[in-house]
Amino acid sequence: MQVYSVPKSIKKDSKFTFCSGCDHGLAIKLVAQVLDELNLREKTLAVASSGCSVFLYNFLDVDCIESPHGRAAAVATGAKRAFRAQKQDRFVFTYQGDGDFASIGLGESIHSALRGENISIICINNTNYGMTGGQMGPTSTMGQITTTSPLGRNEYYHGYPIKAAEHIALCDGTCFSARCALFDIKNIINTKKQIKHAFECQIKGLGFSFVEILSSCPTNWRLSPKDAHKKIENEISKIYPIGIFKDKTNDN
Amino acid sequence: MTTKNFIISGAGGQGVLSLGVALANIFMIADKFVSFCPCYGAEMRGGAVNCEVNVSDNELFILQNSKADFVVAMNQLSFDKFISKVKENGTIIVNSSLAKINKTRDDIKYIFVPLTQEALKLGNIKTANSIALGILSGLLGNILFDNVKKIYKKALKDKTELLQKNLDAYLLGFKYIKEKECV
Amino acid sequence: MSEKQLLKGNIAIAKAALEAGCKCYFGYPITPQSEIGEFLSLEMQKLDLGYVCAESEIGAINMALGATATGTKALVSSSSCAISLMQEALSYAASDELPIVLVNVMRAGPGQGYIYPSQGDYNQATVGGGNGDYHTIVLSPSSVEECALMTYRAFYLSQKYKNPVILLVDGFLGQMAEGVELVKNPYPEIDNSSWILSGANNRDSRKIHSLEPNQDKLNNHIRNLSAKYKEIEKNEVDYEKYLCDDAEIIITAFGSLARAAKEVCNHYRKKGVRIGLFRPKTLWPFPYQELGELSKKIKIFVDIEMNLGQMLKDVKLALSSGAKVSFIGKPVGDWLKLEEMIQGIENIIKENQVASL
Repeated sequence: MQVYSVPKSIKKDSKFTFCSGCDHGLAIKLVAQVLDELNLREKTLAVASSGCSVFLYNFLDVDCIESPHGRAAAVATGAKRAFRAQKQDRFVFTYQGDGDFASIGLGESIHSALRGENISIICINNTNYGMTGGQMGPTSTMGQITTTSPLGRNEYYHGYPIKAAEHIALCDGTCFSARCALFDIKNIINTKKQIKHAFECQIKGLGFSFVEILSSCPTNWRLSPKDAHKKIENEISKIYPIGIFKDKTNDN
Repeated sequence: MTTKNFIISGAGGQGVLSLGVALANIFMIADKFVSFCPCYGAEMRGGAVNCEVNVSDNELFILQNSKADFVVAMNQLSFDKFISKVKENGTIIVNSSLAKINKTRDDIKYIFVPLTQEALKLGNIKTANSIALGILSGLLGNILFDNVKKIYKKALKDKTELLQKNLDAYLLGFKYIKEKECV
Repeated sequence: MSEKQLLKGNIAIAKAALEAGCKCYFGYPITPQSEIGEFLSLEMQKLDLGYVCAESEIGAINMALGATATGTKALVSSSSCAISLMQEALSYAASDELPIVLVNVMRAGPGQGYIYPSQGDYNQATVGGGNGDYHTIVLSPSSVEECALMTYRAFYLSQKYKNPVILLVDGFLGQMAEGVELVKNPYPEIDNSSWILSGANNRDSRKIHSLEPNQDKLNNHIRNLSAKYKEIEKNEVDYEKYLCDDAEIIITAFGSLARAAKEVCNHYRKKGVRIGLFRPKTLWPFPYQELGELSKKIKIFVDIEMNLGQMLKDVKLALSSGAKVSFIGKPVGDWLKLEEMIQGIENIIKENQVASL
């Protein structure tokens, strides 16, 4: 009896190239499983952006476009509107890092949520700019030491981080906004559930759906994979609480 | 008529651009080459506005001229600003309701008409521009009233009352210049 | 053929875009091009097409990246300082080979400048304001009718070469109106089924990207783009010659200013001085060869622009030895008047001792 197989939305024979202990690979696998379960693979356009998240298109076996840094929500908006204008029913989602979504691309992100664009966004929050070597990002926590906050982030010199899922929940066009994590089995299962729910919102045409995933960056955090996940469980998820911040499907 | 240039000027809300567009349209459907060039800028009600209309039997190459054969000045500001732009032997039509009668040049023809007062008498201050068009038409002598009606109908669509008022205004201007001695 | 209408350049572009099959428009307001978006906002909503009042010009051009990747024709319009904001995405579109049509109705710069008309973006459009080895095709209309015709051509060329195309319009031309009969789109549809992203159904999945960590692959990609640009240079150069055959002086000018230059030619012809006009209709690819050919027998050139001599560099590159070029221009505002151009040329005639004055 086969108990596990690689999702068909993952390219055959692909090997993840992320650092050991990085959660990107797991997040992409969950996305692929959901695409399979909802029969979306053949009608999906994925939008990748700059940073480690861009490698999504090396692993997912769906049509992909890479957007300029921060512009994934705009690119997805254009694609979804174009499909609609062509009377084509297609599924469009972006896969972005926190720097991409919540710093350089905050304008595009917030406004696509406000417009209620019928797209889904997966945002990997690993509290730093990973690909460029661990600089301070919009989500770096107070006290966090990074290569550009060598003495630790503080309110006087650097200011405060952004809580993306809560902000997106405030937008009237948002249908669904949640935060989840991948540090244990329970949370991995929950993350998949939230991704699936977000994708279903789009399928039903309910508007903007958003899932922020707290993820590890052992390399830049200078921690072992195990300790990195402990850090998410014990510290980061206390600052960025796991939960659902808005769900219009619960409204009658 | 080979080429004729017009400058229409006044304040925002006086129908300056509408008059320019109507003039260009009327000549366009009479198979002339026409161009309409508005001044453009930050939108402001009551601000200075002007446009240039060129009409010719031949293809137009020059779309912005230093001087015009006809200038319509709907208020004092535009009268002061554009008096120097009238060609030698050209004509300026001045709205004497809103500008003082004052002749500083002797090489041009002045036509002072209280456009605003006449329009008020007709019952709609917004028809002042149509009176000016009637005057221009009377001076030019080559505008068909049928074409004026056609263009006005197209512009005003189902606003029949306004259409009639504007046609009345046009005819008033046309007769004004034919019948009355101008200052 | 439709009946003659009095149309602004901006509206002619918008109408032609719809006629060319454009199904998406993304924009942000800026004078002097806002009429394009205003007109399409109603028309596109009526037709249930894709119109987005974008949050910024950056958002707008990136929406066009997404839309064109699906094989949908998309239009973006803006003006000078805001076109600067779009240069990153234009560079991506060139590398991704996406057929975006971008209209730049020019205003005065640098920086915010003002809404006065100008031709100050020649360099940005033809040389490219984004990073890397790339080109965008640049078309330059000189009348409202050409605004419409070149919009058709822009969509066609963008699809044919999978390349962004810029329609570079003077602010003056965008705002002015002329009587035009809009003709039907004369160009055929280009099959895009081999590359568009429409879902990996019954085919392998596709990806459109500019990121390429493999050095050899990146080199090859850029060389392939370059080969495409050579092909465009070979096939698509377009220009107009006016009274050039027997001319002793040639004026070079583009856009609506080139029209005024025709009147300068007519003026001097009446006085017995044979002046002609050479007007590039494609600013990239620039008609170097054709202008160079003219300069083998004609040696006096006058470049006239509403900037301080941007196309002048290309004219100089085109001229063969012995030919020289003078410049008449001003950066912004009221177009050069006929009298100003005539005065400028008068001096050049004197300097060069051209006979028959």
